[in-house]
Amino acid sequence: MVNIQKWDWNTKEKMVADTTGWPNQFEDVQEPYVSPDGEKIASIVKQGEGEYSVCVNGETWEEPFEKLWSCRFTPDGRVSVMSSRDMEWTMTVDGEPWETAYEYIWDPKFSADGKLIVATVKQDDIFGIVTNGTTWECPTELQSISSFVMTPDAQTVAAIAQTVPLGQADVDTYYKGTWSIVVNGKPWENNYVNLYGVAVSDDGSTVAAEHRAAITDHTILVNGVPWSEMYSCTWEPMFHPKKNDEVTAPVRQGGKWYLATNGRIVWDRGYVNILNPRYNVDGTKIAAVVATSFAKWTVAVDDKPWSCTFGECVLPPCFDSQGVTAVAIARDSGKWFMVADGKVIGDPCDNIWPPVFSPDGDKMFYKIEKNGKFYIAVNGKIATGAYDMLWDPILSTNGADVLIRGIEDGKYYRRVVASAAM
Amino acid sequence: MKPTVVKRDLVEDYAIDEGVKKLTPERIEKVVNDVIDNETAGRLWTYLNTCIHCGLCAEACQWYISNDRDVSYAPVTKVKDTIWPMIEKKGKVDAEFIKRAAVISFTECSVCRRCGMYCPFGIDIAYMLLMVRRICARLDMVPLYLQDTVHSHAATMNQMWVKPDEWIDTLQWQEEEAQGYVPTSRIPLEKEGAEIMYSVIGPEPKFLAQLLGNISVIMKVADQDWTMPAYAGWDNSNMAMYSGDFEVMARVERLHHETAQRLKVKKIVMGECGHAFRGAEYDGPTWLGWMSPPIPLIHAIEFYEELLRTGRIKIAKKIEGPVTVQDPCNVVRNRGLGDKLRYIMNAVCEDFVDVSPNKRFNYCCNAGGGVINCGPPWKKKRVEGNRIKAEQLKRTGAHTVVTPCHNCHSGIEDIVDTFKLGMHVKFFSELLIEAMDIPANLKA
Ligand code: SF4
Ligand code: SF4
Ligand code: SF4
Repeated sequence: MVNIQKWDWNTKEKMVADTTGWPNQFEDVQEPYVSPDGEKIASIVKQGEGEYSVCVNGETWEEPFEKLWSCRFTPDGRVSVMSSRDMEWTMTVDGEPWETAYEYIWDPKFSADGKLIVATVKQDDIFGIVTNGTTWECPTELQSISSFVMTPDAQTVAAIAQTVPLGQADVDTYYKGTWSIVVNGKPWENNYVNLYGVAVSDDGSTVAAEHRAAITDHTILVNGVPWSEMYSCTWEPMFHPKKNDEVTAPVRQGGKWYLATNGRIVWDRGYVNILNPRYNVDGTKIAAVVATSFAKWTVAVDDKPWSCTFGECVLPPCFDSQGVTAVAIARDSGKWFMVADGKVIGDPCDNIWPPVFSPDGDKMFYKIEKNGKFYIAVNGKIATGAYDMLWDPILSTNGADVLIRGIEDGKYYRRVVASAAM
Repeated sequence: MKPTVVKRDLVEDYAIDEGVKKLTPERIEKVVNDVIDNETAGRLWTYLNTCIHCGLCAEACQWYISNDRDVSYAPVTKVKDTIWPMIEKKGKVDAEFIKRAAVISFTECSVCRRCGMYCPFGIDIAYMLLMVRRICARLDMVPLYLQDTVHSHAATMNQMWVKPDEWIDTLQWQEEEAQGYVPTSRIPLEKEGAEIMYSVIGPEPKFLAQLLGNISVIMKVADQDWTMPAYAGWDNSNMAMYSGDFEVMARVERLHHETAQRLKVKKIVMGECGHAFRGAEYDGPTWLGWMSPPIPLIHAIEFYEELLRTGRIKIAKKIEGPVTVQDPCNVVRNRGLGDKLRYIMNAVCEDFVDVSPNKRFNYCCNAGGGVINCGPPWKKKRVEGNRIKAEQLKRTGAHTVVTPCHNCHSGIEDIVDTFKLGMHVKFFSELLIEAMDIPANLKA
């Protein structure tokens, strides 16, 4: 993890950069991103035909690139971007490209401390996973990688990969299985028809995924071993935060959805759908989005649905930092609502982002949109002025201060506000 | 009931021909009864009990009319030869029967729902044929090319086996092409909080990449705040809906809609495709428990109508000469966009010539509903089975027919070729790009 206590929590307000002039300086300026500590703002800029750079706090990198995409800050505050020169692609960090270049590179992910950047690459038509410029060694020539996940330290990377080449309309080979899970370059023993929803335990010891063997035959695989039950459909599994041998997933049987742990039904009420279950911090509770009947969406905690329902949808839930209160963002009649333990908090908004919680779990801070302007709300009340652009709030470790990063009239501000004052 | 006299050329289809060998009476019985008992809605019984076998629906079906009113192509015959006996005999039908049911439901009905408008009771024959497809899918009796397309959906979450890098690479290439017209054109990838997520169907990056360049220019000229996903979830098409593989259908739709949620957009605008609209607006959400897409979705016709009506896009020079249109069933008959389609056609064409019959009553292209996706073995029958479409288009005297749907586009192209109509087949966006005004400050 990044030690955020080292950030500047004393300066109350800093105008980090005035971006108003940028559009006149460059042919084109793309949408900005800001560093987690709020000290930098960066945009990909076009300097001329086939000449792109990144403008960070008003300064561009020395050497332009032919193309750049996906400008993102690492958790430790470096600018990463995928860059191309001479028809080859690589990752560039703070203006420095990795030594190796690839046919293509995409889907970057960062370790929690920001030190490791992991991405998918293709070289000579073979797919692989690269970590800080080193591609994993895999005995199988991977034909594709559809997705990957990793542990927070990025030491274990698990990918859903195509392990067997497949000709056009070759249904026979397809049914024999052309996909597998590859963990740190090592494929599982078997190949499968379809794999989805790969997940890895935090300690990296266990990998789970959905397996679809035939049209209505689905199950969950854990380190290559299937659950004993088959289901007509499944959604992606998740790991208990403390126990690497406890895997939970929504499963469908007889037209209804249930939650199963290690192949045993643990939520037996039966729903029209169950989406995006989440454990709380110590794994004692599970919250999931459920449809109790058609178009009646809510959250169920430990198989008990909230009494309020929403007509359009509910986004993935989360628990507060103490693991007590379940929170979700719901949509009804075209508006978004923040909902905690079944109660709507504050006014409807045009958009709401997931909250961060005070250490005691009592307060939640989150970004909202109303009439084209952005604000930070605290427990349902707007607690800042209006911004034209705003990023998620960040709390200091002890929860005393909130870091607010936003743009007003083209000026990018970094502000520190006492959380008690919000 | 008298057996239907069926005269057809022999068609070889590897998946059907091999699949039929693996069917056993027990397997058929189990699957048929399971689908009928557990997967059908009450309306199936209402339909079956209401139908008085009057045959009024026959005159609605392009297959029936184009095949010299051969009764084996009449909508009610398609039901009589498939789901009726399955129910009557409680699943005790043989492998050859299932084979014929697969051929009827996949290759002789485009589930266009035209017949439902001619039935005095509004019976939805297409729904019943989709249930037949579901049974066939669970018996591995789906035509090879359609099944391969569904395999692509299942493996890659797109229709055309487009690999993750090819997708992004194609967008970047088309962005460069677009910059040749308008230097600041962009295809903004993964821009969280944009107003619009634009989604397309798999064939666009594979075969029709220029459409992606076109949209980038259109979005720039119309000054829209938009984005496209860089990762799976970008494809809004769904052939699994038509093969009867509802589990894959739902998985694809869930990812598409959750991608819009992830990007925190206000709405999804989808390219010119009919079936994709049906999957994303109706069938997918319904299976998943959503009343409608969780993030609202509009079809390209509605989007262009809004841009033209509000003056966000101005026309510099209308397309000359007679131009006609195909009404995609899934957005016109089933969504009512016929008037908006005519609004945009008139806005862009000097001489828009309408077809007759038109709008909701227009004939299907015969390619939709997954029929064209059954591939080359079934092409001859599909094209010859829509002679009336050829005659209808010919009557307009148009030099171009606009098809705001990918399946219509390919289907009409085949009709134009086979019946030597000498017409161009275009998407609306291709006309718009030609006709629209590019403000001087944006020009290269
Ligand atoms: S093709 Fe259309 S009109 Fe003909 S039977 Fe099928 S749904 Fe009815
Ligand atoms: S028109 Fe309606 S009632 Fe008559 S045969 Fe057709 S489906 Fe049956
Ligand atoms: S392809 Fe076009 S005309 Fe044909 S069924 Fe689909 S929408 Fe209808």
